[in-house]
Order: sequence, then structure tokens, then C-alpha cells
Amino acid sequence: MTTDPIVRDYLNDLRRAARRLDKARARELQAEIEAHLQEAIPEDASEAQVRNELERLGTPEEIVEAERPAPPPAAAGIHEWAAIFLLLFGGFIFLIGWFAGLILLWSSRCWRTSEKWLGTMLIPGGLAAVLPLIAIVGSAQTCVRRNGITVRCTPVSGPLPVWVGWLFLILVVAGPIATTIFLARRARTPAALR
Amino acid sequence: MTVRDSLIPQLRRGVLEFCILALLRETERYGFEIVRRLTETDSLVTTEGTLYPLLSRLRREGLVDTTWRESPSGPPRRYYHLTASGHEALKAFIAEWERFRASVDTVLGTT
Repeated sequence: MTTDPIVRDYLNDLRRAARRLDKARARELQAEIEAHLQEAIPEDASEAQVRNELERLGTPEEIVEAERPAPPPAAAGIHEWAAIFLLLFGGFIFLIGWFAGLILLWSSRCWRTSEKWLGTMLIPGGLAAVLPLIAIVGSAQTCVRRNGITVRCTPVSGPLPVWVGWLFLILVVAGPIATTIFLARRARTPAALR
Repeated sequence: MTVRDSLIPQLRRGVLEFCILALLRETERYGFEIVRRLTETDSLVTTEGTLYPLLSRLRREGLVDTTWRESPSGPPRRYYHLTASGHEALKAFIAEWERFRASVDTVLGTT
């Protein structure tokens, strides 16, 4: 049973998810779920049967989540709003603000792990990461100078047209904003209740 | 937020541990057996795996205790049984539940 690749993957995921638990309890939980699967899945089970049993069991994430002592369903508070603000603008404070935002994001109970990853992955540094890009796009021009006086400036046509640069820039600005709006909406309903 | 989204999971969570205690009132049972008994009833359990954390909490709280016993097939099984304080907690809950259910039924007109 435990040699089935689908089951093995599941148990590996569980081991990974259970890392945040106390070590002894993590081992025990792993053994309990393994014993459960041993009973639930017959030796000659079809793949469909295996998948059904795993689905009945729930995701490893859900199971580990249930280990938390009676989760008080926290609604979004100052903690969450600070996280969102810092993720978006914290990069302007020598990046430290952004890191603080990350810590707040991951310590909150209002978001699921997948949502936390989304907040983490999308353009590290938040909007501050965009500044260098603006500088690059904005400065892509050559100027003709005569006697130290700038006479005429023309945009440089590099390998990509300038409008591509601007389009990219708009996407890069819209990305973090859209993500934080999404996180803000999700935070209104605590993850434990979703 | 609809009722199903918010209230029912919370209600379920609150009541489930007493359903486990009730299953152990007459006899000891092993984990898989408890889980399958509970999933036979509709809407009490949505994900079987989350019952194991609940069982471990009941053990920590001293409401149940466990014994390992040989299984006729496969590795030994951990059997759960009620402790004295488990019996007491169940009795108290049943009394409370009957009053609660009667009151809600009266108000809702669902008797």
C-alpha cells in the first residue's frame, strides 16, 4: 500500500506539512494516517480507489491545520492591514519594511498557505522594486548637447520598442496592487472558516 | 458569507468531539473504526484525516486513553477508550445538548 506512488507522494506531503508540529506529535500523526490508509486501501486497489480514499482523508495541509488547539477564527485586524501595506510599500524603507511585511503575512492566520505564497512570490520588494525599472525605461533616450546645453532628446530604440517597456512597467505596477487587493479581500474571512 | 460557510463548520467542530466520546461509551474502538463510524452519518465529518488531530487532543485532555492491541491482520492497533472524566464530560454534554436542542427547536418550530 505505502509503495503506491500516489500514496507515497501524499505521505511525503504530509511529512512536509507536519514540520511545523511538535516532532513527537508529527511522527505520531504520520503513523496514524499511514495506519488509516493501510486499513482503507486494499492490497489490489485500483488507482481510482486509492484517489478516492486520499480525497476522503483530506489534504495534508487540512489535517495538520486541525492540529492547532481550537483555532480562534481571527478576522483581519491591524496585523493583516500592516502586512498588506508593508508588502506594497515596505520596499521603500530600505527593503526592511518589505521583510517585516513578509513576517506579518506568514504569521497571520487569516490567509491560507497558497495565498501566503502568492503574496511572497509576486515581485519581491513590492512597488519599490518597480523604481529601477522606471529609471531604465524613462532614461532610454539620447540627447544631443551643444556647448553643454541639451538641444534635443530622442528615445533610444533598443532591442525592444519603448512601448513594450511601458507595457511591462504597467503590468509590474498592477501586479502587486492586484495581489494585495486580493489578499485584503481574502483576509476579511478567516482561512479557518473558508 | 452564507450559513453553510461559517456556522456549520464551527457547530460541527464543537459537537464532533462529543460524538467521538459517545462512540466509545460502550466499547473501546481503534482509530480507523471511529473514523468510519462517524463518516457513515451524513454531514458530521467532511475530511476524515482531521479526526486524528481531534483524537490526539482528547487524549491530551485526559478524556480518552489508549491501549495497543494486536490486530488479526497487519500491525498492532491503538484502541481508544473513555476515562472517568471522559464519561463525565459526555454525560454533561448530553444533558446540555438536550436542553439546547429543545430550546432551538421550540424557537425554530422544527419539533
